[in-house]
Amino acid sequence: MAALCSEFGDLVQIKKQLISVISLCKERGLVHSIMFSLLMHEHVAYVFELEEDAQDMDALGLAKSYFDLKEYDRAAYFLRGCSSQKAYFLYMYSRYLSGEKKKDDETVDSLGPLEKGQVRNEALRELRVELSKKHSAGELDGFTLYLYGVVLRKLDLLKEAVDVFVEATHALPLHWGAWLELCNLITNIDMLKSLSLPDCWIRDFFIAHMYTELQMIKEALQKYQSLIESGFSKSTYIVSQIAVAYHNIRDIDQALALFNELREQDPFRIENMDTFSNLLYVRSMKPELSYLAHNLVGIDKYRVETCCVIGNYYSLRSQHEKAALYFQRALKLNPRCLGAWTLMGHEYMEMKNTSAAIQAYRHAIEVNKRDYRAWYGLGQTYEILKMPFYCLYYYRKAHQLRPNDSRMLVALGESYEKLSQHVEAKKCYWRAYTVGDVERMALLKLAKLHEQLNESDDAAQCYIIYIQDIFSCGEQLEHAEVSTALRYLGQYYFKNKLYEEASLCAQRCCDYNDAREEGKALLRQISQVRDHMEASNTTPVRRVSPLDLSSFSP
Amino acid sequence: MASVHESLYFNPMMTNGVVHANVFGIKDWVTPYKISVLALLYEMTTSKPIALQERRRLNKLILFVCLSGMLPSNSICCETPVSDACCLLSSHTLSLNRLHEMADGELKDMEYFFATLPTPFSAIDSEAYKTSVVGLFMRHMLLAYNKLSFSQVYKLYKALQQYYHSHYSQPGDVQVGLPALAADDSDMDLTSTEDNVGERMEKEELDTAPLHESELSRGPLSQKQAEYFLARQAYLLKNDENKALKPSALQDELNNMLKFNPDFAEAHYLSYLNSMRVQDIFISTHSLLHYFDRLILSGSEGKSNGDEGYGRSLRYAALNLAALHCRFGHYQQADLALQEAIRIAQESNDHVCLQHCLSWLYTLEQMKGSDSSVLTEDSVKMAAHFCLPYLVSLGIQSLVQQGAVQGKTAHELMDALKDTDILHWKHSLSELIDISLAQTTSIWRMYGKSTMAQQQAQLLLNMNSLEQVNFGVQQNNTEAFAVALCHLAELHAEQGLYGAVSEVLKHLKEQFPPHTQHAKLWMLCDLKIQFDRAMNDGKYHLAEPHVTAIAALNKTEGLYRKAQVLKALNRTTEAYSILQRLQLYCEKTKYTEMIIRVMLVTAELHWESSGFATALPLLLQALALARQHHLQALASETILHLAFTQLMLGVPEQALGVLHEAMEPILAHGAVMDKGRALLLAARCQMAMAGTRSNGQKHAALGLAVQSLGEAAAYFSMLDCKERLRDVHYLQARLHHTLGQTPQRNKCAMLFRLLDQELQAPGAAVAMRL
Repeated sequence: MAALCSEFGDLVQIKKQLISVISLCKERGLVHSIMFSLLMHEHVAYVFELEEDAQDMDALGLAKSYFDLKEYDRAAYFLRGCSSQKAYFLYMYSRYLSGEKKKDDETVDSLGPLEKGQVRNEALRELRVELSKKHSAGELDGFTLYLYGVVLRKLDLLKEAVDVFVEATHALPLHWGAWLELCNLITNIDMLKSLSLPDCWIRDFFIAHMYTELQMIKEALQKYQSLIESGFSKSTYIVSQIAVAYHNIRDIDQALALFNELREQDPFRIENMDTFSNLLYVRSMKPELSYLAHNLVGIDKYRVETCCVIGNYYSLRSQHEKAALYFQRALKLNPRCLGAWTLMGHEYMEMKNTSAAIQAYRHAIEVNKRDYRAWYGLGQTYEILKMPFYCLYYYRKAHQLRPNDSRMLVALGESYEKLSQHVEAKKCYWRAYTVGDVERMALLKLAKLHEQLNESDDAAQCYIIYIQDIFSCGEQLEHAEVSTALRYLGQYYFKNKLYEEASLCAQRCCDYNDAREEGKALLRQISQVRDHMEASNTTPVRRVSPLDLSSFSP
Repeated sequence: MASVHESLYFNPMMTNGVVHANVFGIKDWVTPYKISVLALLYEMTTSKPIALQERRRLNKLILFVCLSGMLPSNSICCETPVSDACCLLSSHTLSLNRLHEMADGELKDMEYFFATLPTPFSAIDSEAYKTSVVGLFMRHMLLAYNKLSFSQVYKLYKALQQYYHSHYSQPGDVQVGLPALAADDSDMDLTSTEDNVGERMEKEELDTAPLHESELSRGPLSQKQAEYFLARQAYLLKNDENKALKPSALQDELNNMLKFNPDFAEAHYLSYLNSMRVQDIFISTHSLLHYFDRLILSGSEGKSNGDEGYGRSLRYAALNLAALHCRFGHYQQADLALQEAIRIAQESNDHVCLQHCLSWLYTLEQMKGSDSSVLTEDSVKMAAHFCLPYLVSLGIQSLVQQGAVQGKTAHELMDALKDTDILHWKHSLSELIDISLAQTTSIWRMYGKSTMAQQQAQLLLNMNSLEQVNFGVQQNNTEAFAVALCHLAELHAEQGLYGAVSEVLKHLKEQFPPHTQHAKLWMLCDLKIQFDRAMNDGKYHLAEPHVTAIAALNKTEGLYRKAQVLKALNRTTEAYSILQRLQLYCEKTKYTEMIIRVMLVTAELHWESSGFATALPLLLQALALARQHHLQALASETILHLAFTQLMLGVPEQALGVLHEAMEPILAHGAVMDKGRALLLAARCQMAMAGTRSNGQKHAALGLAVQSLGEAAAYFSMLDCKERLRDVHYLQARLHHTLGQTPQRNKCAMLFRLLDQELQAPGAAVAMRL
């Protein structure tokens, strides 16, 4: 009896020790040790026959540790009788995740083609039935509502899912997961406006995120700016979101600066780094990209983002096969990774493997119909295949998604030009210029088109704006096109007998190698005509305002 | 957070990052159904020999069972033979026992079954020898079974259990279970296992969540099932649209299919066809392009000369896009797409594709309304050179059509059609035979030979299509049938057989529902008939709304009818300006029939203002034109007009002479209305002539006139054309009065009086109209 008593005393002692060591381990994240201690503790508790509530707590703790160890079925088993909301959520959530895991496992060994695509999470239906019962009884809290929404979404019951997620945000506005899920389900701005969302500060984050998703970058930036001003200035989340937004509107410098800032604050961050690498790629910053790639490989080489960065790195080094390989790896890690599909399409384009490129782009579109880059890529592929009419459809799609992106407009214009649809082509080029031409090609193309159609006044006008544009932006771009413009303008002024301007243009022509000879020839002609004119003395007719180049220096 | 929910599955179909569209190269998978077939075969090979006749029947069934293993069950009764075959075998109980053993036993029973299957390599004497069909099937199955992984075997076993228990209702009592098997077999199917899980779940769910579950409950189709489904639907869409699924249902089905198997490119093509049915340009373009995007890959994969494969599909992609735009009437877009197709076909020297492009090119030109006969001739020559009979005869048919409009002589056209017919029968191009017959119908009708037209139309409708009757559908939903039926309706309407007309139209409405492609044909035909009826009855207010409807379907026709109504309503100036415009337009487009008709109506307008002399040259011109184009019906009509004009100008002898020329063809081929009008006119000429003659001759002439009037009255009463009947009775009464035949006179006068009261409106003066 005494022995038993001492044992009993020991047990009390043991229980206390166990509880303390559990919390210590918890703080340090030693999941396996926690589980051992919990098992012991459960045994002790069983001996004591504790009251139900405490048992519930114990079961929850044990289940949680199983859950942490990804043993979902085990977790669910120990939670089956628990009544608290928390336990119920964990119970349902582990069942859901267990189903998901099994689904993934089963995909590999299916019983033939008819099972492919048929593999589904069998737990979903049961979960839905149980959750919908509870839902109609109004017994779900914010988390379970969220889970219910996820289940509905997985079952493709999107309408119901939206309703449930909205409810979940009302029940628990601070749970970002529900907002994020909602974000994936909203397809357009009207839908967003029609939802009644809880009035909470987190709502602003959601709206900003939504704007970014819907390509309403300006609104998104405004929203983020106001969030920063209201005190979230140090948040890496906001910084990264703004950087992504800048990336989307092709404001590369801003985005790069922000990403650099982000990396300083959070050097081991992997999230969004693929976007960063895209920016570096666009700017051809090889050393930076290389550094980033090596850095990320050091952190975790089996991450989608890492693979994308490495892919970009190889692509920049023109090793397209290797790049494609890394994008493939990214896709193996997550087949729904949109960016990787598109980037892989680009790589195949580089390798002149058009059919594979088309496939890759198509996959990207399947993942997300709103991916304008994939549509644009498809258009480019068909353009390479010399099917300008065929690619129109794809460019149009891309343009629909990004109405203010000059690249699509220029591409559309080029296709129209190839089809001899000059009116449409002109419209496209002009529109591309007005929405802010990134590559500064639209005007030049417009001018050339006018030149082709013998609309010399319009052509001259375009060249003038083009030259002013080029000089005012201050950057040194390739000179060939400026010289073409100057050459044409020189000839144009000469024809219209504006010899002052003509000679000015001709002189400017001489600054460029490829136009020097023509510039000199024109100068000679002008001086000849002038000599001749002084003899006859006639007044020239003015049509276009003379080009004022005095303020610019080439 | 979100990524937790994303499926992390490794895509097994991907090699080198490219997803292969067809990974289903291996089509042999062991399924519960096949296990039961195997069990049956096993029994067959081991059992004692049976009678020869029985054996033969059994063998047939076995062949069917083996091959149909993957076909959808509910479409053909392909599955019931299993039980039939079981019954045939004296040891059928054994066979089922075997299954029962497996299903109720353990996994080892199934493993044992496969182990004991006679290997086709060892069994030399039996039916399961390696080269026999059965042997092949067994070998496939054994191979597939041996390839299964551990968990797959377990899954297969689970599936077998479910399959068995869901179909063999009483597993304990096999004998009783047998009829259940026969009945249940209709859905004995590969997917049924999944379905049943779904069903069971649904029963539970139904009371708790009555939400739309349809998309969930429908299991995915197997590859073969999907192929069969697509082939069937596509065939039905082409040949008998009404038997195909409703557009929305079909789209649902396709979406479902694509959800489970996004690589099934053919589904996109069917979706394209389906959205064409409902005139949805967005989805159809999208689906078409998607299909070809998919095809490009599969095309390049299968061919040894890699590049050629997908280049080809590129060309056809552009061509199809052109066809799509053509169908939607976007001629400019179609033109651009076609040019593109032609360019890339030229670059790769694909003559066959070029020929297709060319035939589309002339079709497009025709649709745009410009003359494309040169192009068509080229197309025919080139297609003949490249041995493409379909395109050749299509081209010739198109040429015939153009030639007919442009006034080529009949024998040339008929010769051409005869030649193509020979071609069709040689190559069994049943579709073109139909078109050819429909074309002949149209040509005969254009020439005004109603009997011949009717005969040809009947020939088409009664012809058994050459094509094998697939899916219980005969080709009767094509444009050719619509055209022939419309002609029939109009021909019947001409003869005043309105009951028959409504029958035909009812049939047309059923065959070609209003949303379908060829529905416009019968709509126009229906409206024309109604319009003509209303005009003949003098109910102009009824005819007027039809004009707008006709104009919506056919602008030229609409204008013409509008002019007719305006003329009838005495709004002469407006009518005249419309006719002028119409004539100019028709001369530009060389629409001869319409030109003549317009001239006739213009002449009628001249009559209204008593400008008989001015109408004369117009009518002569029309007559010349009609004769030049061999348009007999129109020529006769013109002659009628001419005769009337002459009568009005006071030369009844001349008029009668001219009229006699037209009388014969009118009585032979003309519409009842024309017959009546011709006779009435003849009578009036005779009356006019009688006035100048001596008494005795006068009596005889008047007698003739009475006779003619009687016949005319018969014709008019057939059409129930009261206004004209009233005129006839009036004239009859007058004649009888002159002839002193009082009772007849009184009778006619009474008839006149009755009609006059009924009609009330005084109507146009008898003298002033034809």
